[in-house]
Amino acid sequence: MTLFEHYSEIIPDFSHFQEFLQKPFPSHIRINSLKTEPDETAGFIRSRGDNLERSLKGNNTLYSMKGLTSPGNLIEYFLGYIHPQALTSCLASIALSPEKGSFVLDMCAAPGGKTSHLAQLMNNTGLIIANELYHNRHIPMGHTLARLGIMNTVLTAYQAQEFPLRQKFDYVLADVPCSGEGRFRRINEGSSYREPYERERLTTLQKKIILRGFDLLKGDGRMVYATCTYSPEENEAVVNYLLQNRDAVLLPLKTGFDHDPGLISWRDDRYEKQLENCARFYPHRIDSVGFFMASIGRRS
Amino acid sequence: MAEEAERNRILTYLEHRFGISRELFDDYLLLSRKDSWYMMRKSCGEIQLSHLKPSKVGLKAFHKVGNFIKPTTRMIQIYGPAATRAKLEIDESQLSALLSGGDIPFETDIEKGYVILTLKGNRVMGLGLLINGRVRSQLPRKEVREAMLDPEAIR
Repeated sequence: MTLFEHYSEIIPDFSHFQEFLQKPFPSHIRINSLKTEPDETAGFIRSRGDNLERSLKGNNTLYSMKGLTSPGNLIEYFLGYIHPQALTSCLASIALSPEKGSFVLDMCAAPGGKTSHLAQLMNNTGLIIANELYHNRHIPMGHTLARLGIMNTVLTAYQAQEFPLRQKFDYVLADVPCSGEGRFRRINEGSSYREPYERERLTTLQKKIILRGFDLLKGDGRMVYATCTYSPEENEAVVNYLLQNRDAVLLPLKTGFDHDPGLISWRDDRYEKQLENCARFYPHRIDSVGFFMASIGRRS
Repeated sequence: MAEEAERNRILTYLEHRFGISRELFDDYLLLSRKDSWYMMRKSCGEIQLSHLKPSKVGLKAFHKVGNFIKPTTRMIQIYGPAATRAKLEIDESQLSALLSGGDIPFETDIEKGYVILTLKGNRVMGLGLLINGRVRSQLPRKEVREAMLDPEAIR
């Protein structure tokens, strides 16, 4: 059976998508403007003969770096000038774009790439609560945040779906645990995709997290729900569940990259028309991890 | 929160040793925990967080080594570019010697103690310890590697 064949009707240009799954992931880096001047660091890297290309026109912090296999061996990594991060992962923080001085919750924060990107976009101002249930992930996350010079972040370890409600946030990022289909590439004969154990349990958790994230928003606050899977059950169905249970509205997404709209139906399920405001990013369109995002506000 | 006297002692040390102006820290809180101090943007303190149980707050900026207060590598990487004293520029061969565990001779009139090591201009690597005209690495060995000096090793 062809890989992900059950998505052949929803993934555009499906044969091209299949071809792309055979290719290794490209290396993307984000230049950390909190510790360095991006153009200067890009110049340093290029001066060594490395092939650095801007990923997004007009953005001097996101780059693809062809042929790079060990970004951790770059001296710029130790200096905290760069962070290796999938391009689509960077887009979640860009879609949220928190204002400087704002109060932000990252509900499922490990390994810290998006948290640090949010801090960068906020120029280390305001406050980010980086929540991660598993304490063993706090140590590497703490190292990443320290390396990148993040000084506006507090780490907590609550279950995301039970995060205390007392304080409301200007922005919430819910990059939830998911089946990770978008992370799969068949780079050798041995690699094969495994269906997640108990997908139903996963979607139940995702629905609880999205409701809690929305309940933690201030009146004019905004939330981004994100996954790295193609699965409509974990994407549109979860967002649709929020629309059915809260006064939520889906906002148009602006990332600077082309994306495909969210689905309004899948098999026997029908979703609200506004689900088209969601964004689906496919590897053959953006050459990165498959990703899904929804930008959510409160209905006025 | 670090007491005012403690904060003053730390910032005076930075100013005297490295020439890093204390005004740079006006917007930051200094929080003490055990033998370490953490830096956090002041704007963070205006938000009520007493209902949360944090496991880590801000950036670990200083820790006690004997009777000394030592800035962390990550803290000095951020504020080192603003230093006007006790700063030594090293080249890649000197860095390589430091990373392999040795110390390097340095002719300087800087008093003994911690020095800021820069590579190629103002790229602050971290701290070294200057004693009797020789510099010993204080860089975190697990994080900074020989491979960083080999252009082929990164590909």
